[in-house]
Amino acid sequence: MKLLNTFSKSALILSCTALLWGAGCDIIKIKDRPDPNNTELATVLNNPNKADLNTLVGGTVSGLRTDINLWYIDCGMIGREMYRFLASEPRNTGDLLGKENSQLDPGSFYTTRPWSAYYTNIRMTNILIQSSGTSEALSTEELNGILGFAKTIQAYEYLQALDLTNDNGIRAQVGNDINSVGDPLSKSEGFDLVVSLLEDGASDLGNAGNSFFFSLPSGFSGFNTPAGFLQFNRALRARVAAYMQDWQTTLDALNASFIDEGGDLKTGVYHDFTTNPNDQTNPVFADPDAGSGDSWVAHPSFVADAEAGDNRIAEKVKLRTTTASLDGLSSDYGLSVYGSQTTPIPIIRNAELILLRAEALINRNTGTDLSDATDRLNIIRNAAGLTDYGGPQTQAALIDEMLNQRRYELFFEGHRWIDMRRYNRLDQLPIDRPGDNVWVSFPIPEQENLGQQ
Amino acid sequence: MELRYRSLLFSCLLFLISQTAMAQFTVTGTVFDQKTGDVLIGANIYHADSNKGTTTDANGKFTLQLPGQNATLRISYIGYITRNVQVNSTASNDIRIALTSDVANLEEVVVTGLASTVKRSNLANSVASVSADQLLGTSPAQTLSGDLYGKIPGAEISANSGAPGGGISVRLRGVTSINGASQPLYIVDGVYYNDDAINNGSNQVTAAAAAGSSAKQEDPVNRIADLNPEDIQSIEILKGASAAAIYGARASGGVVIIQTKRGAPGAPQFSFSQRIGLTTISNKLGTRQFDADKAEAAFGPTGRTLYEEAAASNRFLDYEDLMYGQNGLLSKSTLSTSFGNENTSLFVSGSLQDDEGIIKTTGYEKQSIRANLDHQFSSKLDVAVSSNYVHSKSRRGLFNNDNSGTTFGVAMTATPNFIDLRPDASGNYPDHPFNSSNQLQTRDLFSNGESVNRITTSVQANYKIFQNEASYLQFRFTGGIDFFSQNNKLIFPSILQFERISGSPGTLIETTTDNLNTNTSAILVHTWIPSKNVTLTSQGGFTTFNNDQNSILSVANNVLGTQTNIDQAIELTVDQTKIFQRDRGFFAQEELNYKDTYILTGGLRADKSDRNGNVDKYYFYPKASLAWNISNENFWNVKAIENLKFRVAYGQTGNLSNFGAKFTALTPSNIAGLGGILIDDTRGVANLKPERQTEIEAGFDASLSSGAASVELTVYQKSITDMLLQRELEPSTGFQFESFNSGKMWNRGIEVSLDLLPVNTSNLRWNSTLNFWRNRSKVTDLPVPPFDLEAGGFSTTLGNYRIEQGQSATQIVGSDPEVDNNGNLVYRDANGNVVPEGQGSLSIITKKLGDGEPDFQMSWNNDFKIAKSLTFNFLLHWKQGGDNLNLTQLLFDLNGTTHDYDDQDLKIADFRLQAAGITSDATNAQKRLALLGISASQFVQDASYLRLREIGLYYDLPVSAISALGNTVRRIRIGASATNLFTITNYDSYDPEVSNFGNQPISRGVEVTPYPSSKQYYLHLNIDF
Repeated sequence: MKLLNTFSKSALILSCTALLWGAGCDIIKIKDRPDPNNTELATVLNNPNKADLNTLVGGTVSGLRTDINLWYIDCGMIGREMYRFLASEPRNTGDLLGKENSQLDPGSFYTTRPWSAYYTNIRMTNILIQSSGTSEALSTEELNGILGFAKTIQAYEYLQALDLTNDNGIRAQVGNDINSVGDPLSKSEGFDLVVSLLEDGASDLGNAGNSFFFSLPSGFSGFNTPAGFLQFNRALRARVAAYMQDWQTTLDALNASFIDEGGDLKTGVYHDFTTNPNDQTNPVFADPDAGSGDSWVAHPSFVADAEAGDNRIAEKVKLRTTTASLDGLSSDYGLSVYGSQTTPIPIIRNAELILLRAEALINRNTGTDLSDATDRLNIIRNAAGLTDYGGPQTQAALIDEMLNQRRYELFFEGHRWIDMRRYNRLDQLPIDRPGDNVWVSFPIPEQENLGQQ
Repeated sequence: MELRYRSLLFSCLLFLISQTAMAQFTVTGTVFDQKTGDVLIGANIYHADSNKGTTTDANGKFTLQLPGQNATLRISYIGYITRNVQVNSTASNDIRIALTSDVANLEEVVVTGLASTVKRSNLANSVASVSADQLLGTSPAQTLSGDLYGKIPGAEISANSGAPGGGISVRLRGVTSINGASQPLYIVDGVYYNDDAINNGSNQVTAAAAAGSSAKQEDPVNRIADLNPEDIQSIEILKGASAAAIYGARASGGVVIIQTKRGAPGAPQFSFSQRIGLTTISNKLGTRQFDADKAEAAFGPTGRTLYEEAAASNRFLDYEDLMYGQNGLLSKSTLSTSFGNENTSLFVSGSLQDDEGIIKTTGYEKQSIRANLDHQFSSKLDVAVSSNYVHSKSRRGLFNNDNSGTTFGVAMTATPNFIDLRPDASGNYPDHPFNSSNQLQTRDLFSNGESVNRITTSVQANYKIFQNEASYLQFRFTGGIDFFSQNNKLIFPSILQFERISGSPGTLIETTTDNLNTNTSAILVHTWIPSKNVTLTSQGGFTTFNNDQNSILSVANNVLGTQTNIDQAIELTVDQTKIFQRDRGFFAQEELNYKDTYILTGGLRADKSDRNGNVDKYYFYPKASLAWNISNENFWNVKAIENLKFRVAYGQTGNLSNFGAKFTALTPSNIAGLGGILIDDTRGVANLKPERQTEIEAGFDASLSSGAASVELTVYQKSITDMLLQRELEPSTGFQFESFNSGKMWNRGIEVSLDLLPVNTSNLRWNSTLNFWRNRSKVTDLPVPPFDLEAGGFSTTLGNYRIEQGQSATQIVGSDPEVDNNGNLVYRDANGNVVPEGQGSLSIITKKLGDGEPDFQMSWNNDFKIAKSLTFNFLLHWKQGGDNLNLTQLLFDLNGTTHDYDDQDLKIADFRLQAAGITSDATNAQKRLALLGISASQFVQDASYLRLREIGLYYDLPVSAISALGNTVRRIRIGASATNLFTITNYDSYDPEVSNFGNQPISRGVEVTPYPSSKQYYLHLNIDF
């Protein structure tokens, strides 16, 4: 009709468009959608089920490896065990070795990244503790199991931080509030915290029944039950006691650990690495013969100071085809401690426990302790193809020998610097270039805003 | 009543039609420039009533058949003031129409509001516009952002590197945000055009983000590069909140409104243009000259051996030439056509671009096709559809920072001229003796390709609801879709030096990103003229914006043979990231125009978004402005000044938070088959809101009646509150970062634009434009301790951008020895007390060492039209001040290969020499290396430059030559031009314009071995037929 005609085509087109537009999209209302890319924290904090807790445990164990290469670079370089040559990162051979006037920078990656990694994992353990406490799916034993696990790992992470910042102390983390900052702790307060966590963890593990409800990866095999994990806890306790020079506790803890003087020196708890999706590969594995600009090489003194016949040299370093050099340093030996990108890295192993027993005996020095200690040192020496210890049976000489065996047995496992430091022998470490320094403590990261010297 | 109205309209229509059927007459005439008498080719003659039009031919003549007995013709031509001319059937032959030059661009129509336009002479803001001619008229750049250099006062446009294919930052009026977006919002024909820069995943191999900075350093391209500059008709830039308020929460960085070319009624007109060119490196640095002792000192005994080998046969290679010495061929062909009838017109264009880079295996190709359709359905409804498909491929090499020795640039720093990295006759490359990669091998065997397919379509419909003499109501609907699919593929074959020794040789990195933007707006515009002198324009409406992006990054290691599919490998990791955004907004604006003398505007926008903590909350952004055309006042009698306008404008816009900032996420982890979740380093914040920018701008425009000069001056203050700050948390909380809103900052600046016509005779027309602009920023309130930007450097030892209360937002800080009031070094003991030298250690503190903000920028553009057919133009750009962090030089020094390593001309302040324990006769590199750890001042370098951005000479073939080819050819133009012809600077690296961290709101100018910049020479041919 006329009306329809005059109701112009235009208006018709327009109304159709409007209809389409209106029908096609959520015009005015906006939905508040959750994060499409990840799990949100709120969803796991309150009454998590066992599957949620399993994933948190998996995350915590994985998190032990975050930026772990920096631990080995920090300890290894300052301890004069190795050099990490990287042409694009001058601070490795600069700051870490105290070249000329450089200092350890509280804002640089070698200070900040390890610290952040440890505290992120401490947060994971606190989330575990907080959330499993609210979970209605756990029995008492299961709850104790996960608490024992979390507290042991938390103690270990605090210990890692304390090993680096040393005299500067560490900082506590407020367990149940992600928004608060904790109090700074002095070195001794830090050690006290580590000890109390290990002890609480041990008592939880003692009441955790026969098995954990959660899984642990193969690096924990042999230690993935409450009883086994307790042995791991005691091993760590022994290490801490030795650092605190509490020799009796060291020996007692070792007795409850997995120490096995007749067993494989390599038995222990390890970080795993695979090439699976989302997994990490061993970050300190590299071709020993790589070009100078990006290479991991042994400090020349490691080979120069070795006893003839020590088969650990061939195992742990490899003669390069060309000398590696950077920034006034050089070495002919590449690191080959880890043979592939999936080689596990030990957290703590039998060899260290045997050496700790020897150390505790030497320092306690009562009755037959010195000769008992020599027997343990000989276990290590013999395994390395060396004859028995033939030096003087004095405490001073045995300390030298014990430190020497630790140097070669635990090479590039993050011990040398700490060992020489706790025996006040940092001035015995070699200085390669005039003006270089051996650092005693890392600064607390400047982002902690604690104001330091 | 309605029916009567309709029938009245109907009968009017009938009457008109009948009139048309009965009478007609033909009008012919010539259009010419009033001052010079030259004919104007291509001037538009338009008859509104019958909707007929035509353009003048090569002789400036036109013919038009008109209905009835008389008519009003509208004559217009770009750069001239439009005129209405009455013609009637009795005097319709050979009419001569004179047009006057519009130096002040008074006639130009500028978009304000979302659906209204205003004449420039009535505009209350300083809105910059760039016409098609200004965009491409002198010498082209590879992508759009490069065509804008020096043409927009107040804009800091800067390329991130010399890599082909784009990657250029546009910052309007200083610092818009610290952590939020800072690039402007681009609107192309009504579509919100996505300008994201998507990373290619190369960090998996380069490990650039693994040490001092965890920010991405992959030199991505931001997607505005896809737009074809040849399609653009005009660009308007709204520089700040006072102009852009009406765009709401996405407009803090300004708004760039782009209109593409549209068809014109008439017979098909074609335009073909072809350019071919050559690109070559702008600036080579040179390298150190060695002798056997120096070679050994820098590289050990191997160095001596290799040096002696080279010296024996005098085989010293120029690696800059081997790597960067390709003279790349450039080519772009464009064919476009425009045709139509009274109701429909169409513009179609196609373009093929193929540019090589200065490095073999790099380059950029783009194919683009566009179709713009305008159709008038009826007198009430017209619809414009714009549609564009672009496919581009860019290959940008591998540059910028790395922690693995794999990028070309870092490898170059480890390369002295006495080694030989070239392949042998069988194509085998030697290993680099001093680096983990051989850059020639990497360049030749690896590939880094980015391929983008993009479709952009918009529909704009205008419906005139009613119209009478006093009022006019129209409804405008715009819908736009912008979809792109980007694929980045990096192939590192297992034969590469660093791949062979890795545990899993061969790496394939593939990122596939799909992005869809849709936006709609529905607006009512009412124009009401209640009396002769008053016009009121009201508009109100609703807009929506949706964005969905899905990006999948796959990394394959331990690749099978030479395969390149991502599943042909032993290890595969996959990472998926999704982003979404929903914005909704209402707005209303009222404009009052009294006699074109007082123009008052007020408006309000309300926006909500799912980027905010509360998705239902509306945030309000007001605007207000006043323009006073003094020259239109009755009392104005200064004849010499044609136009004098004062203007003041105020507005607020928002800036939304980055995606994910409100979530506390646990990310997936995997250890030996045990899956898990691990907290991320960022603590989420539930009450996030947008930043707020408030801008006040004031200025004046003036132009002389003679047309000889016009000036525009603007001062502005941009204040930003509720800044999105990402504070660094104490890492002992388990988190490192958290976003929150707080803090205040301002930018203040001045923009001056002087447009002159010094010479305007028939043989020479010289138009000169001088732009000057300057911006200063300051952080006035910062509720957190000063923090270093993650993407602003690597630590205070090497220099870093730091946000600190009371300081410029772009300050650069770094270590430096402490000095007392007498200028002497300070020594402190372990407790921090000042002690004499020898009793303590040197005190090294963090100081402000420089600032990234330039002191000012100037551009000077000159157009010469000589003897009517020759055009010569050039554009000079001067940036004075503004510091860079030159870390490229540091890498050269550490490797012993810097070109000035052994020179002794570097001036260092005495106190620094003393602190480092060196004397002033040490070599340059000795000084710089000794200062490492003592001071970062040697890295903070002045990046001032004077650059000849564009220069071109064009010749229009004379009419006689053209007519020999037949009647169809209207114009043939040939020309030669050069882009970035020369740069005068003291900066000691490839280009003072650089950014290792890409498009950053604040921290530009940090450089770590970038892709070097190049200059281009072109020959042009343009045929209109």
